[in-house]
Amino acid sequence: MAIDVGDEVNHGDDVGLSLFDVDPRRAIRGAVGVAVFLALWWLVALTQPTYVLPTPLIVAETFVVEAASGAMLTALGSSIVHWFPGAVIGTGLGIAAGVALGWNSYLDDVSAPVVRVLRPVPPLALIGFAIAWLGINHTGAAFIIAVGAFWINFYAAYGGVEGVSDDLLDVARSLGVQGDLELIRSVVLPASLPEITTGIRTGIGRCWMLVVASEIFGVPGIGREILRASNNLRVDVVITYILVLSIMFLIVDTGFRAIQRRVLAWR
Amino acid sequence: MALTDSSRRRPRVSIEGVGRQYDSPQGVVQALEGVSFGVEAGEFVCIVGQSGSGKTTLFRIIAGLEDATSGTVYLGGDPVEGPGPNLGLVFQEYHLFPWRTVAGNVGFGLEKQGVDHEEQERRVRELLELVGLDGFADSYPRDLSGGMKQRVALARALAVDPELLLMDEPFGAVDAQTKRMLQNELLDIWSETGKTILFVTHDVEEAVKLADRVVVMATDPGRVREIVEIETERPRSRSDTSFGEYYERIMKLIRA
Repeated sequence: MAIDVGDEVNHGDDVGLSLFDVDPRRAIRGAVGVAVFLALWWLVALTQPTYVLPTPLIVAETFVVEAASGAMLTALGSSIVHWFPGAVIGTGLGIAAGVALGWNSYLDDVSAPVVRVLRPVPPLALIGFAIAWLGINHTGAAFIIAVGAFWINFYAAYGGVEGVSDDLLDVARSLGVQGDLELIRSVVLPASLPEITTGIRTGIGRCWMLVVASEIFGVPGIGREILRASNNLRVDVVITYILVLSIMFLIVDTGFRAIQRRVLAWR
Repeated sequence: MALTDSSRRRPRVSIEGVGRQYDSPQGVVQALEGVSFGVEAGEFVCIVGQSGSGKTTLFRIIAGLEDATSGTVYLGGDPVEGPGPNLGLVFQEYHLFPWRTVAGNVGFGLEKQGVDHEEQERRVRELLELVGLDGFADSYPRDLSGGMKQRVALARALAVDPELLLMDEPFGAVDAQTKRMLQNELLDIWSETGKTILFVTHDVEEAVKLADRVVVMATDPGRVREIVEIETERPRSRSDTSFGEYYERIMKLIRA
């Protein structure tokens, strides 16, 4: 189902380079913050053994070693194999369910009790189901990630749809829009796009966190590397893979924010 | 001799015995009672009344947004059963689609009617010219003033060529000067397009300036007090003696 965003074709010119379009004063302050953080870390690390807190230099060396050996890329690739489908499926189903229940009060009433019971269950608590139904593999891990993405997107879309003004719907009807599907496509979805895209963005971040949790039971990936390194008291490796997670999150989040800004150019 | 239908001109809009009750904690509230009048094709009719006279309820019933508890509204002979493209709606708060450009808003109805692309573009250009917004086709609503937004809303409603243009306090949210300007523009557009217009307002001066006939509503329950025909030639000026007389007469009817 295509989302009707009117014609926003000629309004994306300013988006491409926005990644580097940072106020220089803010950039300098940010750099100062990073320097202070690294200095403090270093000072504390000097007083501690490496298995408690390695210095930034040791972490940097480990980072290079892990990257050069190919272990990092293997772990990252493995995580992406369940992160990506989990995030996409959970996001898609969450938005679809949120729009459906936000739009149709009958469906909403029918599902409300079940939704309220399932909603507070942490995705990690479902690991038993993931193992029993899907096994200790990418599919099981993707399931955990999808559950996390689902609820965030469900509530974002639900709230967005509920907030669509009845007057806009009346106007659309008076201009010849007929039927629920057509109303959803031409008014409800574009009107709730700010909430929906915010949900997607929050969900993407949540999914990177769930990558670690979903690999607890043995599925290979970045989370698995972190857990194994923890068991071996290799804090430098732990921090290295935490950095990988952070970098992946930053890349995906920045990319999505650019998309979001473009889609919401009308705001 | 048999009466032939064609010998009588059928009104474009016919409101027949429309009533509306609401249930409230204080009991049943009669918002509208026995409202009946017609609007001829090409006529400009204003509905005036104080708040509580049910004029907005009447607007919503005529628009098909709300059901009457008694009576029926006919549009071109058929009962109104919901909002549709034979009724162009214009609201006080504009209700533009914020995610669409000016051209996208005006073209919305044409798109939904499946009008082909070139024809859409041509119509949108014409309409933007008609409301004086050529040059703003690619702007988004957030960048427009209230007066401009209302022009877009008017163009959007006119785009699907409705049988009736139904307007609810359309100039209630703009400053006095813009309001006068929009009123004059609306009169120009009306004479240019020959549309039938039903215009709800609480502003008696506005009604006297615009309308062929003014439907004066009474309160509690909302009902038609009297229908006043304004015979003053257009353009009308507040300084005309007849303008003042109509104004006083309608004010008296409203307060009665």
